[in-house]
Amino acid sequence: MSQPAAVRSAPDVLVVDGVVRRFGDLTAVDGVSFHIAPGETYGLLGPNGAGKTTTISIIAGLLAADAGEVTVAGERMGPQAVAPKRHIGLVPQDLAIYPELSARENLAFFGRLQGMRGSALSDRVAEVLELLGLSDRAKGPTKEFSGGMKRRLNIGIGLLHHPRLLILDEPTVGVDPQSRNAILESVEALSVEGMAVLYTTHYMEEAERLCDRIGIIDSGTLQAEGTRDDLLRLTAEADTVRLSGSAIGPEVSAALRALPHVERVDAGPHELTLLVHDAPARVAEVVTTASAAGMALTGVEISRPDLESVFLHLTGRALRD
Amino acid sequence: MSHLLTMTLSDLRQRIRDKSVLLFAFVVPLALMGVFNLIFGTSQDLDLQPVTVAVSTPADDPLASVVPDVLDGLDETDGGVAVTVLELPSDEVSEAVDDGRAALGIEVPAGFGAAVSEGEDVAVTVSEGESSVETAIALSVVDGALARLHAQSVTVGAAAAAGVPPDELEAVAAEVASGGPAFTVVPGEAATQQLSPAAALVAGQTGLFLLFTVSFGVLGLIEERQNGTLARLRSMPMASWLIVAAKALVSFVLGIVATTVLLTVGGAMFDVDFGSPVPVGVIVVSVVLAATSVMFLVVRVARTAEQASVAASIVALVLGIGGGAFTPISASGALGTLLDLNPIAAFMRGLGITSGGGGLTDITVPVMIMLGFAVVMVVLSRVIPDRGVVS
Ligand SMILES: Nc1ncnc2c1ncn2[C@@H]1O[C@H](COP(=O)(O)OP(=O)(O)OP(=O)(O)O)[C@@H](O)[C@H]1O
Ligand SMILES: [Mg+2]
Repeated sequence: MSQPAAVRSAPDVLVVDGVVRRFGDLTAVDGVSFHIAPGETYGLLGPNGAGKTTTISIIAGLLAADAGEVTVAGERMGPQAVAPKRHIGLVPQDLAIYPELSARENLAFFGRLQGMRGSALSDRVAEVLELLGLSDRAKGPTKEFSGGMKRRLNIGIGLLHHPRLLILDEPTVGVDPQSRNAILESVEALSVEGMAVLYTTHYMEEAERLCDRIGIIDSGTLQAEGTRDDLLRLTAEADTVRLSGSAIGPEVSAALRALPHVERVDAGPHELTLLVHDAPARVAEVVTTASAAGMALTGVEISRPDLESVFLHLTGRALRD
Repeated sequence: MSHLLTMTLSDLRQRIRDKSVLLFAFVVPLALMGVFNLIFGTSQDLDLQPVTVAVSTPADDPLASVVPDVLDGLDETDGGVAVTVLELPSDEVSEAVDDGRAALGIEVPAGFGAAVSEGEDVAVTVSEGESSVETAIALSVVDGALARLHAQSVTVGAAAAAGVPPDELEAVAAEVASGGPAFTVVPGEAATQQLSPAAALVAGQTGLFLLFTVSFGVLGLIEERQNGTLARLRSMPMASWLIVAAKALVSFVLGIVATTVLLTVGGAMFDVDFGSPVPVGVIVVSVVLAATSVMFLVVRVARTAEQASVAASIVALVLGIGGGAFTPISASGALGTLLDLNPIAAFMRGLGITSGGGGLTDITVPVMIMLGFAVVMVVLSRVIPDRGVVS
């Protein structure tokens, strides 16, 4: 409402339009479209194998799309494109740093490839080292770094050259809680600077905390897209109920599905996840039905609608594996 | 251009820190040369004794005279053996060995020349008294000469079958009979075009380890993939072929430096002069291009990093040994042609020519072989589909 006109009409930094990518018989990305405005953080939330990395690889010009089109800062992206790559900073899911080089050398190397030179480069390298909390470890070879330090450097290389679009592919996987928090904070700071951020994750808390808008991706398709509140409305206020225990046979799921207020049932080996309307009033019925069908219950948990319930609502499966 | 330079310099810096390339490029080959140097040194201190060889040859058989000729020539070569040839009638040869007048007896049978010209097998009888290093040397030289004669005779036979006029055949036969060094690979080449054993050792080890050295540059592509940095490089604002070009340049630089150092240091160790710098430089550049190119094929064909480095080692050993890195290898016919097309063999031939005083125009053939090899490898690596290491 109160946004200045210039910001509101600023052209999108990224436009993804109907992108398709196949690997043999598998369609890893199946007609994905979305866009990101300057200063906006967009989350791609989806489980393993959803197609997040494939989508990002196409956006970063590492992979060719079989159909569709990606535009970065108004320029058409592709594996042979050079100009649009100036505007992106990629933080790959797997570490992408040279173990024999120091943190400073890693940053300077990629900075030079991005066209930075001289004191502009060395000042920025020092600044990013400071930002990453790596200033005192700038000189040693990165093969001696801890996992968290490598992750932080991996991110630093991506944002060194002030890209207009920063792409982060699950940057917190396998990171201790402290480094994770540091990473999340630095991403929050970036969008304040006006950088557009594309952030993939399968942690809904990260998506909820960081992202202005979220796209839920599964099996290569965007299932839904919007702000957190937009997405929560999709579940029509159904709560998530988790039943933990054992002896979770198909008859348990079937019995629960037959209940009128139960919308979805996803069975894991030690856990049942359900979407239940008006859960507090219905949970007793749910529990008795489950044990009557043979389940040995050890715990019950009700949570307010969250992105997890949205994912369950959309796909019939729990987000967590 | 600046992208290419940035990547090449950064890569070279990592290679140097990583040390294994230094090991393969300089330390191991120089150590090996040092070991061989010691062995050579002691064998020269051995002080070979003069030896007498009793030889019988049929009269009017110019081909048979090759045997006494090569024996006579033995003391002319460095570290050679002084051989006295005792020409005797055939029935006295074994007698001479028995009573100690000669250490070795060689009977060339009647009809030898004719049989050889027909390409038929013919037995030369050898009787040996007390065997010694000297008789072993004499025997091996005769053996080599005979093997070569036989190879030549097969060629002559083939030429005859192909309708070469008889008088030209005789010219070929005469050329063979006129002797020349026992181990000449290509008929008609002068003795000065062969490397001395010490020079061959330096050049051979240099060629062999060059193949290992260049593999470090190109196989760096696989390392980039393992580091995850290949994806990052491909997201940089530059043409993607520059990534591969930088690796080739790294290989090339490493190869040039290693080859130059090894030829210089090895040459000094063995007191070998490879000839004037310009033609030697052209040969070095050509062999480094050839060696680098074959590694691109390896990277292309291999499925995994392990496969690639094993394949690179195999290629290095096959080309190196086939090229004569340890001991000269020659063959006739198709196999011989194949061996001649080996860039390491061409490298050694080229150095043989320059060490004998040859200039730029004299090394055209070996240089063309090396460059042709490089072109074929690059074309092949473009044509062959990628099996997954680089994409
Ligand atoms: N190079 C490839 N060849 C064949 N199949 C591939 C390739 N890359 C990805 N896939 C397949 O495409 C699908 C999507 O993979 P992708 O890596 O994009 O998923 P993701 O959402 O990033 O998963 P994760 O959370 O595990 O990283 C998967 O089924 C995967 O096996
Ligand atoms: Mg992924």
